[in-house]
Parts: sequence; C-alpha cells; structure tokens
Amino acid sequence: MAAAAGDGAEFPILCETCLGDNPYVRMTKEPMGRECKVCVRPFTVFRWLPGRGMRYKKTEICPTCAKLKNVCQTCVLDLEFGLPVQARDSALGIEGSVPQQDGNRRDYTARTAGSLDVVGGETEFSGRAQPAGRAMLERIARKGPYYRRNKPHICSFFVKGQCTRGNECPYRHEMPQGDPELAKQNIVDRYHGNNDPVAKRMLARAGKRAAPLTAPEDKSVTSLFVMGLGDAVAQDDLRDHFAAYGELKSVAIAPKGACAFVNFKTRAGAEAAAQAALGGCVVGGQALRVAWGKPRPKGPTTEVGGSGSGNGGGGGVGGVPRIPAPPGAAGAAMYPSQDPTARGAS
Amino acid sequence: MPKVQASRRGKEEPPEGWSDLEPTLQEFKQKMRDAENESAAGKRRVESTWSVMRVHHQRSRYIYDLFYKRKAISRKLYDYCVKNGHADANLIAKWRKQGFEKLCCLQCIQARDTNYGTACICRVPKAKLEEGRVVECVHCGCRGCASTD
Repeated sequence: MAAAAGDGAEFPILCETCLGDNPYVRMTKEPMGRECKVCVRPFTVFRWLPGRGMRYKKTEICPTCAKLKNVCQTCVLDLEFGLPVQARDSALGIEGSVPQQDGNRRDYTARTAGSLDVVGGETEFSGRAQPAGRAMLERIARKGPYYRRNKPHICSFFVKGQCTRGNECPYRHEMPQGDPELAKQNIVDRYHGNNDPVAKRMLARAGKRAAPLTAPEDKSVTSLFVMGLGDAVAQDDLRDHFAAYGELKSVAIAPKGACAFVNFKTRAGAEAAAQAALGGCVVGGQALRVAWGKPRPKGPTTEVGGSGSGNGGGGGVGGVPRIPAPPGAAGAAMYPSQDPTARGAS
Repeated sequence: MPKVQASRRGKEEPPEGWSDLEPTLQEFKQKMRDAENESAAGKRRVESTWSVMRVHHQRSRYIYDLFYKRKAISRKLYDYCVKNGHADANLIAKWRKQGFEKLCCLQCIQARDTNYGTACICRVPKAKLEEGRVVECVHCGCRGCASTD
C-alpha cells in the first residue's frame, strides 16, 4: 500500500532540552505522520513528554531538513550550541546552502534526502576553522538544558478571562511575559536564518559586550589584558601578534597561563591593537579576548578569567590581601568590597 | 412452530416489581434524550458526549445497585431491564470485579485506545497523581474512578 515507506528513522534528532530530563521517556512513532514544516514532505513524527508538567513535544521538521542545518527536529536550534540558525551562521560565516524558494527547495531536499547519513552533511557546523566565531557562540550559549521551554503554552482563554476549564486546564494560566517583538517568530524563517528576532538580539548583545574596548580615560594606560590563553599560546606568539600594532614594552603571562598582560610603549599602539582585536583575535590557534588592563600594568594576576566586559582582573602582585580601612573611616567606602584599592579577597 | 417465535412477536410482559422501577427508569430515559439533544455551544469537541456517558453510568448504576447491592429486585426483573436497554451488562460485569467498583465507562480501561497501551488517566488513584492535579478524562470527563477515590 504505502510505496513510500518514508524515512526509516528510528529515533529523532533532538537537543537535550527538547528531550527532557526523564531518562525513561516514552515516545510514540508515527511513520508519515505529518508534513515537515520546512519542506512539506511527510516524515516520521515522534511524540513524547519531556518531563512532568510539560507539554507533549513532537518533531516538527523532517530529519533531512534537520541534518542540512544541524538543528534539533523540534526546536530548530543548533544541536551543538542551542542557538538560532541565524546567530550560528553569522558567527561562523556559514552560507545557507538550502534554497529557500519553493521549487528549488523541494528539489534540493528531495535530492539530498537519501544521501545524508551523517548529521551535518558536507557543511562544517562546529566552526573549528573559525575559533573566534566559535568562542563567541560558546559564550552566548546556555550552559545547561533550558526546560522552561517545554512548559505548556499560555491559555489564550485565560488571557481573555474566559477559561471555563479552570483547574483542569492543561495550559498555563499566566499572562504573557517578555518582549512582544520577540514573539513574532516563524519556523521557516528561523530555519533558513532570515529575520530571526531572537538571533538579532543575541548578536546585538554580543556585539555590545565586545565593544567596551573603548579606551579608558586614563591616558597612561597602555596595556591590554588578554584572556583565553590555552596551553598552546606562548609569550613569543603574543609578542609576534601584538608587535604589529606598536612597540611592546613587555608581555607578562600569568603563572596560571590563562591570561596575560601586553604592555605597549605607546598609547596609540595599544589602541590600534585593541581596535584590531575587537571581534576577538586568534593567536596560535586560540581565540583570545582582549580588554584594557587596569591602571597597574605590570605583573601577573592570581585570578583566572573574569568577565568579558571592559574590566580586567586586578593587576597587582598577587598574594597578600591588603586590610581595608575600617568602614566609615574615609567616608567613601561603606564596605570593604567597595574600596577600589583593595586587592584580593578580604 | 416452536414457542420462541410466538413470544418474539408480541412484547414480553414485564415481571413483578416493574411498576416500582418504571418511573425512575422513565426519568433516566428522559435525561438521556436531553443529553443527546444538548447544543454543542461552548463545549470542547470531546466534551459533547460526556453527559451521555454520565447518564449511561447513572442508569446502569441504579439497576446494579438495586440488584447486587441492595438485592431489592429479582433476577428476572434485572434481566428484563438489561434486555430492554436500561442497564449495560458489560459495565455492570466490571463493577463486580475488585478494583473496578467505581469504573466510569468501558472506554477508560481499553488499552487499545491509548498511545502507550495503558488505561485512561482517570483510573489512576488520586494518591498517585500528586501535584494536586485535576484531570477530566477525554473519553467521559471522569475525574477519577479508582476504587480508592
């Protein structure tokens, strides 16, 4: 009867969040259950409960479409980062190879359907060749599964005040929160990476966080604080890279090896280097984050890492924490932590 | 000709005690008709048959109660009621089994009707449900027919 057996999918291509927290999840499989939301071809629909108090989720796009963009079949977010297609593609410089127009797309997906046995196909989605972009994505990505996404949808009757189901209503009785601009999403646009409000917002925020490479007012600061060094980056690599922007006074790597100070002889050189490293520079294969150093340029710091915003870690000689003035003595600092000259944990 | 044919032609006489039962059963009949003719306004798609299932349960319960619990009618009268559609023998058969004393309808124990081959959610005792969750099962609108509830 069914000449088209459909895809022989045994298990859907899903992200951690969509699958849920239950290791014993039960799933129904319905061969040729629905049309794919992107390519409109029938495919095997899987349906499961991603945890207690969640709504039932099902696969929305077919495995072919999912593989072509390396996304989850339900939420259409990247499998590796959990980020929208538009965000990932712009960060990694991936050109969309899936045609968007009706006929072209149908032809393309039909042609590639059989030959995709490895997720991702020919395109490289993890960005190993673009460490800067990849580092950026790793920063924006969530650190753990986000199960809030699996909650039941908001009861539209409740919003109007007309929900007659009351207590047994399976939908959420809450008012819609969040920016209404972000609510206007369309699965096909999200899949191809066009016009995705969430992606746009993410990229804007990431861009802003990189921007505090604005020069500090203190003109004597000529040092840059560099984070993200791995084992591979040696002092020489840093010297070679930054010497191109101006003469270096010194390069000091922290004993832990995760960050370094690059001190320039001239302020102009420092600024040039900072500008060039705006999006994140790559030295010795490692993607680095560059920020302005604090007004004590020399010496390594005992603290590792720090935020990506304009402040580097304390640049003083690590070790003895200075006992801060008693609270209220100077009048300016109420708490030890407010004292800007305090070093280390008190 | 065999006697069966002759008795099939005419309506069989109701056994003794029928006159006590009749008014209530007539009421049930009326209720059923009302349930069937209700308008579908403001109801969910599945909700439209719930009142029918409800009357069906109530009606059968009445007969079951009289015969098996209170033993107030004779076997003959019971059989007569069942035969004339005033009670559902299959449903009553379930009520006589342990654990199914308060069963709402036959659909809710039909494993074939569920996605995972289980019984309906209304069969789960409230003690096991947790979360203070209120359920209305999709088949008959039952809120819990486990014997412990």
